[in-house]
Amino acid sequence: MATLDWIVLVGTLLAIVLYGLWKTRNVDNVQSYLLGDRELKWWTIGLSIMATQASAITFLSTPGQAFDDGMRFAQFYFGLPIAMVILSIFVIPIYYRLKVYTAYEYLEGRFDLRTRTLTAILFLVQRGLAAGITIYAPAIILSTIMEWDLFFTILLIGLVVIFYTVFGGTNAVSQTQKQQMIVILGGMFVAFMIILFRLPEDVSFGDAVGLAGKMGKLNIVDFEFDLDNRYNMWSAMLGGTFLFLSYFGTDQSQVQRYLSGKSLTESRLGLLFNGIFKVPMQFMILFVGIMVFVFFEFTQPPLHFNDANQQKLVGTSYESRYNELQEQHNQVFEDKRLAARELITAIRSDNEATISQAQTKVTALQAQDKVLRTEFKELLREQDPDSDTEDNDYVFIYFVINYLPVGLVGLLIAVIFSAAMSSTASEINALATTSVIDLYRRQIRPNASDQHYLSVSKWMTIGWGLIALAFAAFASLFDNLIEAVNIIGSVFYGTILGIFLVAFFLKRVGGRAVFPSALIAEAIVITVFMLDKADYLHIAYLWLNLIGCVLVVVLSLLSQSLISERKTTAG
Amino acid sequence: MHSKESPQEERPPVFKTWKQLYIFVLVLHALIIFLFYLITRAYS
Repeated sequence: MATLDWIVLVGTLLAIVLYGLWKTRNVDNVQSYLLGDRELKWWTIGLSIMATQASAITFLSTPGQAFDDGMRFAQFYFGLPIAMVILSIFVIPIYYRLKVYTAYEYLEGRFDLRTRTLTAILFLVQRGLAAGITIYAPAIILSTIMEWDLFFTILLIGLVVIFYTVFGGTNAVSQTQKQQMIVILGGMFVAFMIILFRLPEDVSFGDAVGLAGKMGKLNIVDFEFDLDNRYNMWSAMLGGTFLFLSYFGTDQSQVQRYLSGKSLTESRLGLLFNGIFKVPMQFMILFVGIMVFVFFEFTQPPLHFNDANQQKLVGTSYESRYNELQEQHNQVFEDKRLAARELITAIRSDNEATISQAQTKVTALQAQDKVLRTEFKELLREQDPDSDTEDNDYVFIYFVINYLPVGLVGLLIAVIFSAAMSSTASEINALATTSVIDLYRRQIRPNASDQHYLSVSKWMTIGWGLIALAFAAFASLFDNLIEAVNIIGSVFYGTILGIFLVAFFLKRVGGRAVFPSALIAEAIVITVFMLDKADYLHIAYLWLNLIGCVLVVVLSLLSQSLISERKTTAG
Repeated sequence: MHSKESPQEERPPVFKTWKQLYIFVLVLHALIIFLFYLITRAYS
């Protein structure tokens, strides 16, 4: 990176962190530290909720996903606004009335201590794993493409986050997230405009959209019902709604964001703000990927976007085959560039026959290029079977590093860091809160002073931050870890949501029924997940949320009936 | 869904009741999906 890029990057991050520290300089009690004195306004809550969910992977991976697979990932978020409305109506009023610090506190009053503890532990395991990946995933990509030391990158992200989260608590998290979202949205908008400016002069925005559409990239909505298809309307509306109900309603990393609201109204509005803007925001991020795709129809893309992988073959016996593939790729690109221009001309003429002919030609060349890229990946695997050959996550950062002007590169890297930090901060803040409130204060040391709990909260934040850092540092030792942890939310969330649904809506079911039911449901979900991984079943992971949730509800009802019957018989 | 607002509950901004705001959010969402559907169809 150029000096100006470093100045922009460091300056942006420093300004955000210092602002957060300054705004939270008077935090001196547990309520203030964990719930920000419940003073936040709806726009801070809304931005905080969005920043918590949108980790660095959102901005690194999502454009790459659109580049490769089109826009259909947008469907993943279709259940979110529905979930926001349901939570605003049924869940937030209960949390507010009970004045809880955590979502799991509520479960003790409703059921019993062991159900509260079980749910809190499920959260700690799931979120604890995820916190490490939130740091590791962007670090590995940035360190690879920027040639930074991986450990240094992990430390940079982790230590900065731990510092301001420990210092200012939940309010520091929310205040910094407000600024981080401004940087993120501004940076992505700037990147989008630069892409448009860098298209050939004779290719307009309309031409670009038309080209992307004819090449199958504007495949936003899919109504076909297919259990094995990850992204369609049905998995989104059913599985996705349950996933987001669980994530926003029961995951402390989100619950803590809106429990810090000034009033029930502010918290509701914050959630609904997220409900309105999340889907359009994700659409825009995907659309940036589409524009990058169009850009690389007219500017030579690399054979493989992870340059480190390409360098692995240089100087080996595979180099000559790599050079052959590179030459073929260059030739296909030249043919495809001409074909793309022909397609644009055809689209402008609005002649269906010409469009169809040109579309067939471009699509065929695109398929040829895909074969070459796949062959490169196979060559890579031959040379090193442990290679990570997927390069979609590197598409956007490759574009940023090589095609954005000096200064803006630093801004976009600041976007990536901001996104990583905002998510990690929420996670370790929530992990510490749950550890203190649901385990330490409730079961280990119930009668200590407020200052003691404040001190323990800070130490817990440091502890969870270091655990996340350690996990991130060792994550590279495990195969497919990122994929496993990205999916792991769905393995746990269904059960957690089921427990809460029973709590809210099935008043006749007690703790004696729900606790064993939750254990059995979780065991079944994990079994289904393992069977799918071993290819005995084919079921997209979003459905695991629905399965886990329904199992808890059904088994709880059955168990409660048995318990009631036994009581009647005994009586 | 709450059919009556409790006396202590604040009204939302712009809308008279929370129910109206929820309906607005859901209808807006449906319109966005419909727009996406039109885009998908136009280019399929």
